[in-house]
Amino acid sequence: MSQAFDLLLVGLLIACAIAVIRTKDLLGATIIFSAYSLVMCLIWLHRGAPDVAMTEAAVGAGVTTVLFLVTIGRTVRRER
Amino acid sequence: MIVHLWQNIDYVASVVLFCIGLYCVITKNNLIKKFIGLNIMETSVFAFIVALGVVDGGDAPIMGAGARAPFTNPIPQALILTGIVVAVSTTALALSLVIRIYQHCGTIEADELREME
Amino acid sequence: MKRALTAAFLVLVSLPLLYAMSQLPQHGSATSPAYTHIAPRYLERGPEEAGAENVVTDVILNYRGFDTNGEVTVIFTSLAAVFAVLLAGREGDERSASEPRARTTPEVSPVASFVVRLLSPFVAIFAVYVVMNGHISPGGGFQGGTVFGALLILATVVLGKATAEKLQPARIRGLLQAAAPLTFIAVGVAGLIMFGDYLAFPKAAALAWVRTLWLIVIEIGIGVGGASIISAIFWQMGGDR
Repeated sequence: MSQAFDLLLVGLLIACAIAVIRTKDLLGATIIFSAYSLVMCLIWLHRGAPDVAMTEAAVGAGVTTVLFLVTIGRTVRRER
Repeated sequence: MIVHLWQNIDYVASVVLFCIGLYCVITKNNLIKKFIGLNIMETSVFAFIVALGVVDGGDAPIMGAGARAPFTNPIPQALILTGIVVAVSTTALALSLVIRIYQHCGTIEADELREME
Repeated sequence: MKRALTAAFLVLVSLPLLYAMSQLPQHGSATSPAYTHIAPRYLERGPEEAGAENVVTDVILNYRGFDTNGEVTVIFTSLAAVFAVLLAGREGDERSASEPRARTTPEVSPVASFVVRLLSPFVAIFAVYVVMNGHISPGGGFQGGTVFGALLILATVVLGKATAEKLQPARIRGLLQAAAPLTFIAVGVAGLIMFGDYLAFPKAAALAWVRTLWLIVIEIGIGVGGASIISAIFWQMGGDR
């Protein structure tokens, strides 16, 4: 059961990473990257590292996403 | 070897994520996309180092009433906490450089920037 | 063509990496070298020796305090660098002046505004809890500071920058942004004067409460500094309206 859950999370992680680089819309890519960070946070919580998971949720999924969003707002949204 | 890798699925996943991030950094033209790829590479390295400290059935290393051994290794976790914060600092600096580049050149595509010189 | 070449290159890169991974100790084994040398001592004696039940906090702030001192300096330096990059030559920039920027503030729905006003005290209390409880539960200065910084960003987006800035009086904003390195240096110098080493903590068993107190002081410094640095970077990068 636990092994299956691990495999599910890892598969989701790799799927998110591939979706990030395949998305042409930078806004969408940023949101998927945020989801990627959340999945990573779940994996770390599952592995007995709650401190790292909390930091990743706050910094990786929160602040990094906000910084990317601000940059997209001041530059362009579409990738050519 | 394959069986061993199958049991160490965390290590394999971090190698795969590292390659995906590197692919993004090399092939994508858009600077913001390149930095997203760089962030994926960073996270994969963090995941690898945290995976080194995992112990089967280990609890979080928080001693208190009701805490039972085994505990996961606290040292990789402490290193990675530092690493995550440094990663967000570099991302902030990189993105502010992207904003400046856009203000000056009006584009953030690497090949157009190269032609401009 | 370029993509195919890159993919081939990545396969070449990943083969030695995978080979190295297959030589590593079994994932999750309790006999791997990383787990048998110094970790048992930290796990056994960390709480008495370093002052916090959360061993990760012990390692970050006490055993490896130098490392974290450098790290808070790094985030402060990155704030300074963001300021330098975005403020340099601002007035001589004709493109940004002619750029058709939508300066009109979009109408914020009353529901969003009400919910943010309702929730912000609770988010602030949660942030303070995470910071103050970092020595006995998961969390600590960075995490709590980031939550508080996120609250400031939310307030900026929904309620306007003026409201959010009231939480950081302009007179002491510079001091707040430098809070993390300053706290570290203050505690380090106090250890230097009292115990003879930079960042030395009291060692006597009777002084356990002093160790815990110093950890909490450093956590609060990192929390305040982290929150102000994150909000300042956000404001500087143009999230202000």
